[in-house]
Amino acid sequence: MNLAFATGAAVLFGCGAYLLLHRDLFRVVGGIALISQAATLTLIASGLTRGRAPISPEPNEPVSDPVPQALALTALVIGLATLALLLALVHRLTVVLRTARHDELAAQEAQHESRLEPDRQRDRDEAT
Amino acid sequence: MSRPYVVAQVVARLLWGPSVVVAISLIVKGYTDVGDGFAAGVVVALGLALFYVALGASAAELALPFLRYAPRLMITGLLLCLGTGFFPLLSGEPIFSHLPEPGAHVATVGSLELFTPLLFDLGLFLLVVGVLTVLLHQLAGLKGVAEDLAVPPVDDAPTGGRRP
Amino acid sequence: MTLLATVLLVPWVAGALLVGLDGRRRPLAWSAVAVLAVGLVLLVALTVRVASAGPVQLVTGGWPAGVGIVLRADALGATFAVVSQLVLLVAAAHEAIPGPRARSFPGLVVLLAAGLTGLFLTGDVFNFYVFFEVAMTASYALAAYGGRPRQLRAALVFAAVNLLGSFIFLLSVAGTYRITGSLAMADVADGVLRAGANAGLLVAVGFFVAFSTKLGLFPFHFWLPTVYAGSRPAVAAILSGAVANIGGYGLIRFGAGIFPAQLRMAATALVVLGAASIVYGGVLAVSRGDTAELLAYSAIGQVGYVLVAVGVGGPVGLAAAVFYSVVNALNKALLFLTAGLRGPLVAGAFVVGALSVAGVPPAAGFVGKLTLFRTGVAAGSPALVVLLLVGSALSLLYMFMNYQRQFWRSDPAAGTTVSPLPRRALVAVLALLVLALGLWAEPLWQLSQQAADLFARESG
Repeated sequence: MNLAFATGAAVLFGCGAYLLLHRDLFRVVGGIALISQAATLTLIASGLTRGRAPISPEPNEPVSDPVPQALALTALVIGLATLALLLALVHRLTVVLRTARHDELAAQEAQHESRLEPDRQRDRDEAT
Repeated sequence: MSRPYVVAQVVARLLWGPSVVVAISLIVKGYTDVGDGFAAGVVVALGLALFYVALGASAAELALPFLRYAPRLMITGLLLCLGTGFFPLLSGEPIFSHLPEPGAHVATVGSLELFTPLLFDLGLFLLVVGVLTVLLHQLAGLKGVAEDLAVPPVDDAPTGGRRP
Repeated sequence: MTLLATVLLVPWVAGALLVGLDGRRRPLAWSAVAVLAVGLVLLVALTVRVASAGPVQLVTGGWPAGVGIVLRADALGATFAVVSQLVLLVAAAHEAIPGPRARSFPGLVVLLAAGLTGLFLTGDVFNFYVFFEVAMTASYALAAYGGRPRQLRAALVFAAVNLLGSFIFLLSVAGTYRITGSLAMADVADGVLRAGANAGLLVAVGFFVAFSTKLGLFPFHFWLPTVYAGSRPAVAAILSGAVANIGGYGLIRFGAGIFPAQLRMAATALVVLGAASIVYGGVLAVSRGDTAELLAYSAIGQVGYVLVAVGVGGPVGLAAAVFYSVVNALNKALLFLTAGLRGPLVAGAFVVGALSVAGVPPAAGFVGKLTLFRTGVAAGSPALVVLLLVGSALSLLYMFMNYQRQFWRSDPAAGTTVSPLPRRALVAVLALLVLALGLWAEPLWQLSQQAADLFARESG
């Protein structure tokens, strides 16, 4: 792992974390995508080797390690699938709730809480 | 689409053929060089994405009729992968064994060996194209929703904006 | 060997076929239940084989173990696989009786079963990550089942938090490969021992954080009430009874199996965190007014017991952790399923679940608490035994409060409609299973001890 890769992964993670804290859900999804790419970059960076491709190497040649490359490819595929799922979820949420801002979603949660109030009031009445 | 994006439509139609050729070449050379079924599937899906973005979902499916069968394509691909992987169970071998054994004679077309991992890669290709087409089809429906949502520009000011 | 491969193949192929068809039709929902039942029978056969003849191993492609992917069924994995499959079967049947509300529900449950089975029966760290992601993707989609705003919000929170957990897990897997140069679990364990305790500490912490987020342990529990209370009862049962098992299994397999030296170094911290979880979950559950939220906080408390048992470690502690994980999964599934139903049979089933959570005989939770007390005694710490007693007392308190609120008081607003008989009968069958496990705990206890013995030899 050299400095360039470490800085790149750190910058990606920082941008992703910043986006994650936004109000708009699409930016939150973008933040999660950046964070998963930061993990993939760390994976590649921690397995850097120099050498020929390991298809049919000569006996005394350095061969680059294929395992981190396979791990990174799998991580990318999984990241694609989860990003697709998250986008579909945010799309559905936007359609159903007609808003993409999550403080308004929280307001709807608060409405549900207030509907529980009569039950709690009954509990308090019975206790006294 | 309210305005036809003529350049994008023409480019989409022109790029379709080459993207399929690139995908096939990725699968064919994937055993001696960089490439595999997943990369091929993503390249084809990029070509399809251009169709969806430039023409819209309904026009894209008119232009490429096989897109209507994308869910079936996806499931066929997955079953092909699983079948290729698990069929050695019938002969008592461990799963995911290659059919012409490592070291045995194998039929070749040029430098491409015809063995069971090739079927696995084809299944993977079909699976990726199918999944990404289904996704593009679902998200392309967003167009109709956006018009009657009339979402105002999102205000991300830390102190909280107001809806106009 | 063929049994191990078949048990992976069946739910995968069936799930692939089921997602393409319309799952709202009853015959399809019931065929998903049938596939899960077949899978359960195969898993029980595999467990019997493993319990009598030792672990079963299969390497893909016939390659040597370091090159091919190792699939391995031992007592620990088989136990967790059976209990998760059982919970999925009951939840799928619960939704198949009135008919699923979404066309993808049966297919998703079967694919979740495929992912979980693969996860519990693999012996390769990266393969574990792949099956972990398969299972989690299916559960993110399942969390949105029902389509209401509450379910969609629950699914979003669940997906976002667990994706961050997966990110940390992937980093830890990368670190494991860097330290040991191998991905098969047996080789990784040897490599970590050779590399020394400090090298693996950060990686072990990463795994711990990822699995604690999955389980809902104390510092990483914040997502649990929103998700468990917001999702439909069947999905909450699946999440708490099947998906949370990933966390318990991971703590035992990665903690005691792969990083035993780091586990011993951190034992006190783990016990303290588990104690915090027990107290936090118990105290907050007392204050909740909504059944589903109460059960969510109860879940936070119950998994604290598992962490305490893992922290104490040793053959007694690990066996208690496995046993209590199984009991907790069944309890939570039973309680979440009863939360949506009404009727006298349901009240009886809830009582069985409540007694099991509180640790009162003859329910299974009593044997679980007994094994935990033995762990506390083996650790030689009176504070631990007092803590367990306090936790049980809190559980009894909030469970009784909830029983009173839900079943005893006559509620003029809710009406007197009783839920349909088949659903009540299903819940009653699960309650009888919990009672039977409490009365005849020997087989499960033997399995738990076999699971713990796997690690006793390695940590010496």
